Amino acid sequence: AVPRSVSLAADPAVISPQDPTLLIGSSLVATCTVSPDFPLKAADLYWTLNGRRLPATSYATLGPTTLSVALAHLNGSRQQSGDNLVCHSRDGGILAGSCLYVGLPPEKPVNITCWSKNMKDLTCKWAPGTEGETFLHTNYTLKYKLRWYGRDNTCQEYHTAGPYSCHIPKDLALFTPYEIWVEASNRLGVAVSDVVMLDLLDVVTTDPPPDVHVSRVGDLEDQLSVRWSSPPALKDFLFQAKYQIQYRVEDSSEWKVVDDVGNQTSCRLAGLRPGTVYFVQVRCNPFGIYGSKKAGIWSDWSNPTAASTPRSERAAGGCDPKGGEQNTTLRRELKQFFGWVKKHAYGCSNLGIKLYDQWRVWLQKSHKTRNQV
Amino acid sequence: GDSWGIFTFLCAALCNLPALPALNCSEELGAGQSIQQTYDLTRYLEHQLRSLAGTYLNYLGPPFNEPDFNPPRLARTERVPSATVDLDLWRGLTDNARLAANYRAYSRLLCYLRVLDGQVGTAELRHRLAHFCASLQGLVLSIGGVMSSLGYPLPAGPPAPPGAPLASNDFLKKMDDFWLLKELQTWLWRSAKDFNRLKKKVPPAVVTLRLEAREF
Repeated sequence: AVPRSVSLAADPAVISPQDPTLLIGSSLVATCTVSPDFPLKAADLYWTLNGRRLPATSYATLGPTTLSVALAHLNGSRQQSGDNLVCHSRDGGILAGSCLYVGLPPEKPVNITCWSKNMKDLTCKWAPGTEGETFLHTNYTLKYKLRWYGRDNTCQEYHTAGPYSCHIPKDLALFTPYEIWVEASNRLGVAVSDVVMLDLLDVVTTDPPPDVHVSRVGDLEDQLSVRWSSPPALKDFLFQAKYQIQYRVEDSSEWKVVDDVGNQTSCRLAGLRPGTVYFVQVRCNPFGIYGSKKAGIWSDWSNPTAASTPRSERAAGGCDPKGGEQNTTLRRELKQFFGWVKKHAYGCSNLGIKLYDQWRVWLQKSHKTRNQV
Repeated sequence: GDSWGIFTFLCAALCNLPALPALNCSEELGAGQSIQQTYDLTRYLEHQLRSLAGTYLNYLGPPFNEPDFNPPRLARTERVPSATVDLDLWRGLTDNARLAANYRAYSRLLCYLRVLDGQVGTAELRHRLAHFCASLQGLVLSIGGVMSSLGYPLPAGPPAPPGAPLASNDFLKKMDDFWLLKELQTWLWRSAKDFNRLKKKVPPAVVTLRLEAREF
């Protein structure tokens, strides 16, 4: 369909004030004055705000071609692009419009937290000060400077870790404190957060420990041995690492945490249930880098690794006989099958009960995401 | 773009000399496929724009997002290439003229969209606009490819950039944005029909016959 459009040489009318910024609750009187070239009078005009006609009781005729409207106790703008106050001719045609920006000045951003991945960069996030909305578009700028030198720097890469975050990728110094703060600004004003002071070495985090292996301890029914490597990115730096392990039974969502692992790269889990599949994760805290006294920041957990405790032939108490037995029979058969495959089929040496356990982990994960969709 | 045009022109010229053996003008064989791709891209953009325009007009707020909204077009907003021409007039143009008009229009529309991208408030809208601009850039190149494969020269020079924004206040700018999106919708709708018709005019069979006629 070809739209019909009326082409006009000049602005048919002028609204005042044009695109004002106002505090919530304030009042406004706006005027619409028809251009001399147009054959319209004040009586031919009406107002709408965001598409809704305003009552004629709020109008006043200020001149032969000027109509005003009074707006009281304005609410915050319906959209951040501004409320649309429009002056119409009697037949509905648009003569002029003005965007009203009604809101609140920003509040100080709060809760600035930062972390450095492997001492290479710095990412900070913060929270906006206002519990509710300011109704106006608010710009956030993260700034930082070395404490002992004057120059302010501005962070450029925003939204890397959520909407209120920024990433500084390079040119950062170690062993020296930085001052960091966030400025929030909108049409009604500016608010500056408190300054946070930190040395990069105090907020170091790293990648999760790689090469996590979980294996049985001989025939012991209630134990599993966990091994991992220290994060390679920090291997050249002197640091003590703290590790944490968490593990859970396959069917449960309750994690048990082992806290006192220290800086070993192996640990034995004990007091486990026999013949049960466990999921295990490890994470690392690189504290004490270059002798820094502060704790570092915990890495993400490693991807879960699965393993199962052995189950003796003798019946053990405390398990659901039906389900448990079926599970054990299946596993026993699978183990025998894999053993046979190894002997008779070359090139299948990767098949084993461990691969089957990894598949169980994957199955649970994809089952969870399928349920979430 | 230009080197393709020259090469195609030479190829076509040489092909027409009776003294020479038939040259394999593979660009012409590609025309059918190239037109199909352009048609597909046009439909994809139509679909993308419907969703993008909906979100953008909601951002502008009522009355811009009301279904029958039809504001006046002030003289200054006519710098956006208008798709509203007489349909009979449009159909009466040659293929070359129609393709060239499409090429020029989308190049200019792309410029205006890029300016829009720089000014919009929300990060999500900016991201979607950027994605749409990239696809529209692809359409401009695709149309250029079709023109070259049919032996038409590309319209001269890059389009003049919009320069200083002409809308003197925020409300007029909202109206400009509305018309930009509306014209874009109409152009894409009509281009799809144009490319569909062009597809039927350049089937592979016709090209094969032309080559055979040139053999000794």
